[in-house]
Amino acid sequence: MPPRIPGSSRSCQPQQLLSCLEAVSPSSFRPASTLAIPLHRPSPSTQSTINNTTTRSYATKPPRRMTRLRRQFVDWLENRGSRFRKNEEHRPNYIGASMNRGADRNLVFNHNPYFLSQPVLSEPAREMIWKAVMVEGAPLKAVSADNGVDVRRVAAVVRMKEIEKRMEREEKPLAYAYARAISTMVPQDHLKPRQDEDGRYKKIDFEPINDIHIHTATMRQLFVPTSESRQFTRADAARAFGDHILPPDEKMRIPELVQKERNIANGMDERDAQDLFLKETAESEQAYAEAQRKRAEAEEARKTRVNTDRFEFRFETFDSEAVGPTGRARHATGWRYGAPLLDRKRGQIKIPTSVE
Amino acid sequence: MKQRRLLRFHSLKRGRVRQTWNKYNLFNIWRLREPHLTLKTLFQQKWGAKSATRSYHGEHIKEYQWNTMFNRRVLSAVNMDPKYMAQYDGSEQATGRGSGRLSRPDKKDGPRNQGNRSGPTPYGQMVFAPMERRLDIAIFRALFASSARQARQFVLHGAVTVNGKKMTYPGYLLNPGDMFQVKMERVLLATGAAKRGKKGEGAAAEPKEAPEPAEPAEPAEPAEGEEGEKADGDAAAPAAKATDTAAAKKDQEALLKRLRDLAHRWRTLNGLDNSKWGSEAAKRRALADQLKQIRELIRPLISSQDAAPKPDDPSVSEADKVDLEMSQLMSYLKLSAPQQIAKTTELSKAGAEKKIFSQWAKYQESRRIERELAKSKEEAATAATTTDATATPTPTTATSTPTPPTPSPAAKPPISSSYLPFYDQAVIFRAMRQERQNPKDSSKPYATPWRARDYMAPFAFIPRYLEVNQRICAAVYLRHPVARPGLAEVPTPFPPVVSQLAHNWYLKRR
Repeated sequence: MPPRIPGSSRSCQPQQLLSCLEAVSPSSFRPASTLAIPLHRPSPSTQSTINNTTTRSYATKPPRRMTRLRRQFVDWLENRGSRFRKNEEHRPNYIGASMNRGADRNLVFNHNPYFLSQPVLSEPAREMIWKAVMVEGAPLKAVSADNGVDVRRVAAVVRMKEIEKRMEREEKPLAYAYARAISTMVPQDHLKPRQDEDGRYKKIDFEPINDIHIHTATMRQLFVPTSESRQFTRADAARAFGDHILPPDEKMRIPELVQKERNIANGMDERDAQDLFLKETAESEQAYAEAQRKRAEAEEARKTRVNTDRFEFRFETFDSEAVGPTGRARHATGWRYGAPLLDRKRGQIKIPTSVE
Repeated sequence: MKQRRLLRFHSLKRGRVRQTWNKYNLFNIWRLREPHLTLKTLFQQKWGAKSATRSYHGEHIKEYQWNTMFNRRVLSAVNMDPKYMAQYDGSEQATGRGSGRLSRPDKKDGPRNQGNRSGPTPYGQMVFAPMERRLDIAIFRALFASSARQARQFVLHGAVTVNGKKMTYPGYLLNPGDMFQVKMERVLLATGAAKRGKKGEGAAAEPKEAPEPAEPAEPAEPAEGEEGEKADGDAAAPAAKATDTAAAKKDQEALLKRLRDLAHRWRTLNGLDNSKWGSEAAKRRALADQLKQIRELIRPLISSQDAAPKPDDPSVSEADKVDLEMSQLMSYLKLSAPQQIAKTTELSKAGAEKKIFSQWAKYQESRRIERELAKSKEEAATAATTTDATATPTPTTATSTPTPPTPSPAAKPPISSSYLPFYDQAVIFRAMRQERQNPKDSSKPYATPWRARDYMAPFAFIPRYLEVNQRICAAVYLRHPVARPGLAEVPTPFPPVVSQLAHNWYLKRR
C-alpha cells in the first residue's frame, strides 16, 4: 500500500494535494512570500515556516502533541517553578516553604514537616572558631559551650580550616565561587548575639550541645515498686533499667558545664564559675591528651622495630591462642592450619570498615 | 550502556522522586501527594510505600543489600539542659504521683528540661538512616554531586579520599569523625552551570588567553620584542617609538578613566536605597553587572601582567619607557590596593588588604550614619511641619541635609596620592579578587566564571550530621543521623504515613 496522505482517506481534493506538495518544497530555494501556488489559507507564509521548522519536510504525519503531563511540566517551569531556576533572591528557596504559606522558611519538603534545612556555620563563624582554638588556645569544650556548637563540630571545623589554610599557603586553587554560591542558598548562622524579648543581646545556641543518646533499653515502660518517701533520682531510674545503663549525668559530653551551673546555684559568682569552668575544661583536655600519648607510647613499647635498607620490620608479641573457637577471631593474625582464608570466596565483603 | 532502569529515570508519568537536582525531579517533588490509602489492602499500602521510598533512598542499591542494612532500632537523642541537671536530680518528677500533688512538673511552672523542640520524636521518618552512612550518599548530601549516582561515580573513579586516603568503594560506611574530600574540579563540574555552545568545542580547543587584547596590552608585546632586538645592538627608530609611547599613554589614561567611571558608578549604585530598586535582586544584578564590566577590562591586564617583567627587575632597561610604564600601570592596577599601602605602612600584604577593607567599611559606616542622620532630621522636619505650618517643605530639607550637617571624623576618607581614590580602588580590587578567585578559563568543562547550575537552590540543604567546608570540598561525618523531639535528621520528601508503612514493610511481618 502506498503511503497515505493525511486527510486523503475521505476525498482526495486538488487543494489538499497542493498543500501537501507545498510542504515538501524546500523553502531555501524559494522564499515563502514568493510562492506562486494559489493559496486560500489566511497566512500562507507563517504556515509554511512552521511546517519547515517543527517537522521534517518529508514527514507525512502531523507533529506529535505534548502529553498533558509534559504540558503541565513546561507550564510549571515557566510560571510557578521559575523562581527556583536562578536563586536571585540570594536566600534559601525551598519547595516546602513556597508551597505552604506560613510554614517555616527552611521547610525543604512539603510533606515532611520533621525535616528542616537547619542553618550551617557561616564562613566568618568558622573563622572565629578556628581562631578561638588555634590562636587563642581555648579548650574545645569551652568554645563549644560559648557558641552552642557541638564539640565534634568544633573539632571538624578546626581540622578542615587547617587544611584550607595550608592549601591557601601553598597557593592551591580553592572553590571560593562555589562556597559563596552555597552560602546564598543554605541558611547561615553567624554565631552572633541576638536580641531576645527583653531587648538584651544574647547568644543563641547553634545546636543542642548536651544531647545524650537514648538507649533502646530505656524506651520501654517500666513499673518499679518503691516506697513513697523515697527520692527516686535519675541514677535510680537508670539502675532500674539495667546495670549497664548509665544515668544521664554520666553521659553528658561536657560535665564541667553541669558543675558550673551547680556552682552558680550554690552561690558562686558567675565570673568565678566561668573561670573555674575554663580551668576544668583545659585540664580535662590535657588529661585526655596525656592518656592518648601514654597509650601510643605503650603500644610503641610493645613493638620492636628493626630497620633494614629496604624494610622496617615490626615485631610484636602475640598470643597464638587468642584466635577464638573457629580460629577466625576478628583480631587474630596470621594464617593457621585448618582455618583457610575466605577472602576469595564469593559474597565476601571486602569493603574496609574504617580508614585510619 | 545505559541500564534499562535508567531509561525512564525522571519519568513524568511514573512521577518517581529521585536523589537528583534535575528539574523534572523538582517537578515530581512538587506534585508529590499523600497517597490514597482507603481502598487499598495493608499489603498494597506497604508495597506502595516501600517502592516510592526506595526509588528515592539509594535507588542504585540492590534490595537485598538494603535489607541487610536496615535496622529497626532508630537512633535518637535528647538535649539535657545543664542548668536543669544541676538543680534537679529527677526525683521531682516522681513526687506526689497519685498522692495529691496537683501541679505537674512538666507544666510551665515546674522545673523543665530546656533546649528541645516540642512535639513527638518522629522515629518513623528515620527508616533510611543507615543509607545516610554510605559514602556516596553522604557526598550527595554534602552538595558535592548533583545526584547520588554521580556521587557514586566520583567514588568509583577515584576522585574521593577518606581521611586522606583514596577510597573507591561507594558502599563504604562512614564512621563518626571520618573526613571525606572530593576533587574540586569534579565538584565544580557537578554543581556548575553547563558550558554553552557545541559539545566539546571549548574543551577540545586550547585555552585562548585574552582573545581580544585590550588596547593597552598591545604595545607591551612589541616592546618585549624590541627589548630582545636591543640586546643585539639594533636601535629602533626613535620617532616611531615616540608615537607608540604617546598612543600607549593615551590608552592607559582612557583605561584608567573608564575604570574610575565604572568604580564610581558601582559606588553610587551601591549607595542607593533599596527602595529605589524594584527589589534587592535587581540591585544585586546591577552591581554584579558593573563588576563584570570592570573584570572584563582588567582580565587582559592580569594575564599580560603575569607574563610581563617586574618593574624592579634589573634586566629591564630604563630607556624602554613604554614597557616600564605599562608594567608599572599593571602592577599598580593589579596590586596597588594592598601593596602600595603595604609599602608605605610596612604591613604585610594580607594586613594591607584588611586595612583597605576596613577603611572601606568605615567609609560605608559613615555614609550609613550620615543617611540615618538625614533621615532623622527629615523626620524631625516632618514632625515640625505637622505641628508648625510655617516650616519649610520637607523635600528641600531632605535633599539639603545630607551634605552640610555634622561631618563625622570618618566621613572624609583619606585620598591616596595615586590615580584612584582608595574607595574606587576597593571596588576595582574587589573585581580583581573575583577575577583571581573565579577566572574565565575556556579549558574547563563547565561554564566559566563558575556559577551555580539552574534549579539548584531548592535542593541545597546540609543535614546536621555533616560539617562541610565548601572551599576545600571536604566534609566531616560528625555522627549518625538521629531523631530528636520534633525533628528527624534523615532528609526524605515523604510524609510520615508513607515512611511508617515502609518501615513496616521492612519489619518483614507482611
